[in-house]
Amino acid sequence: MPHGYHGCYLRIDVSQPAASERVQLSDDVLRQCLGGSGLGARLLLEEGVGSDFPASDTPENHSRPHFPDPLSPEAPLIFAFSPLVGSPLTTSAKFAVVSRSPLTGRFNDSLASSGFAIAGKRAGCDAIVIVGRAPRLSVLVIDDGNVRLEAADDVAGESCPVTEERLRARLGTDYRIASIGPAGERAVRYATISHDGRHAGRGGSGAVLGSKNIKAIAVRGTQRVEWAQPRELTELSRDLSKRSFGPATAKYRELGTAANLLTFNRFGTLPTRNFQQGTFDEAPNLSPEQLRTEYSRTRASCVACTIGCEHIYSLGGSNVRIEYENLFALGSLCGVSDHAAVLRASQRCDELGIDTISTGGTIAFAMECVERGLLDEPWLTFGSGAALLKAIDLIGAREGLGQLLADGSRRAAEVIGQGSIAFAPQVKGLEIPGYEPRGLQTMALGFAVGARGADHNRSGAYDVDFSDKVDRRHATLDSVGYAIETEDKAALMDSLILCKFLRRVLEDFHGESAAMLRAVTGWDVTADELRETAQRIVATKRQVNLLAGWTLAEDTLPDRFLNTPLPNDPEASLTRERLNDLVAEYHRQRGW
Amino acid sequence: MYVEFLGIPRERAGISEMELEAETLGQVLGQISARCPGLSELITSEGLHPSVVANLNGDEFVKSLDTRFAEDDRLLILSADAGG
Repeated sequence: MPHGYHGCYLRIDVSQPAASERVQLSDDVLRQCLGGSGLGARLLLEEGVGSDFPASDTPENHSRPHFPDPLSPEAPLIFAFSPLVGSPLTTSAKFAVVSRSPLTGRFNDSLASSGFAIAGKRAGCDAIVIVGRAPRLSVLVIDDGNVRLEAADDVAGESCPVTEERLRARLGTDYRIASIGPAGERAVRYATISHDGRHAGRGGSGAVLGSKNIKAIAVRGTQRVEWAQPRELTELSRDLSKRSFGPATAKYRELGTAANLLTFNRFGTLPTRNFQQGTFDEAPNLSPEQLRTEYSRTRASCVACTIGCEHIYSLGGSNVRIEYENLFALGSLCGVSDHAAVLRASQRCDELGIDTISTGGTIAFAMECVERGLLDEPWLTFGSGAALLKAIDLIGAREGLGQLLADGSRRAAEVIGQGSIAFAPQVKGLEIPGYEPRGLQTMALGFAVGARGADHNRSGAYDVDFSDKVDRRHATLDSVGYAIETEDKAALMDSLILCKFLRRVLEDFHGESAAMLRAVTGWDVTADELRETAQRIVATKRQVNLLAGWTLAEDTLPDRFLNTPLPNDPEASLTRERLNDLVAEYHRQRGW
Repeated sequence: MYVEFLGIPRERAGISEMELEAETLGQVLGQISARCPGLSELITSEGLHPSVVANLNGDEFVKSLDTRFAEDDRLLILSADAGG
């Protein structure tokens, strides 16, 4: 077994937790998929379709039995750690949550940070696979690898922060807790799993955990792994930490991701009023430059991170963590410029345990339906902070209109009909993040082909659009290779796992990553091997999708983006023919 | 011509925009470096630090110090990392 790993995963059937078992992971498997998203994807395939899962994409494989429904007891939910977790490397305290998404029906991996990753790995495993359904709402307790269920009566219906606080008071402060909020209990299809104020946010992993009647997982452990080359690892870690304080990460430290808001607005790529516009006149009101004059602000870091990207604002006696995606989705996308309402909406999403991007996207879609007379909810208008907050609460409670919106914009459009699917802001069912595809066309391709749907954490193609490599408003086939490069890089970072905010710090990304992995594991891994590994991980995610029923028709964007140029920027026009050509070239270059 | 600062460059410059007379990117960087000492970390003799990029009128991104500008051009200086 290589250093840096335990060489096994913990498989827990919460229907009968006493029957939990440790399943061995071979050296070959670990080297092929590393950890995090890569290991999770591999385990999902094995759990989902049996250990004889097909190794190739053939027509026969398409007819194989599909995975179980993502919210059924049989559906696996996987927490995957990585070889770097627990090492002194900055930003390495991360974990991936992998399953089929109840929102998209496709592969889903969402990542979060901090102490849960370290405690989970110290429980003596490289991943935790959860199947089954507990007889009643429960807390899954993993104490150094020993598994039991405890009643969750005292935290039922509670927010994620309250749940964490109560469980640590009950079990001990050395436990680390990942929990769902009320939305996860009610199977909102974009419910999150929360830990220490951060969320494994996209795709509805919180609903999957809720479907297993698990309110929270509490974990602690004492089992450490050894590092193959401790001295080299210490040197690498010191050097990386030192570089992480430089200009490459200044944006995250000083303004946070919210710095994007004014920049994107200036470039006409700030999605506004459900993607009807690319600029928002009131954007300055939501900017971090403005927020810091209105609210007291503190900065925080995940465990084992030297960047410190979190910007936490004080709101009504409690705190709210603000990111660009919150401000865009709950602000400009819904036409809301009242910063107090947007901050409260972000806070409410965190309390309920729902993804801010899908929440904002689904509400903005409903607002446009009301505007067009397709939905009889006259209170739900663009620009109304009160309506935004009301809609969020309805979603969290699955009451009234919230019952419809809790299933996401694609399902809502299927119910509303009347052509509304053309402007439902989603790909494969996952709501589009804050990057206007017509003005950022390499990113448009990244959105279209993404295994988990439209997502900025699985494709970093926006970085290409904001460079001299391409014309961001006129993508050509030359853009495709860049999109693939960023997708592969993201897959590798999500499997090692390292924070993507390091990507400009790592000047020789593959070479430096290989050096870290050598020091941790002792493998003679090279940069070229990691390039192949990244491609394998992307292909594994696709294999999950193939077996779940994916077809090429899903690799596209809603009609809105293919029929209508951006109103204030006619140059920002993307036709169906051009996108189809890009997608076809993407598949050709992938060898699919 | 005008230079607009966004994100970290705006933080360092302490202003959101300035008007100046320059014909090339090299001349622009020389002038803004002299007028905004806070930008010194982001401007070297070889051009912009890799964490920063320059864009002309919201259209193309420019890098060559010999890039020529017209009188009514607007140069945007922004963080290279658009991650969010």
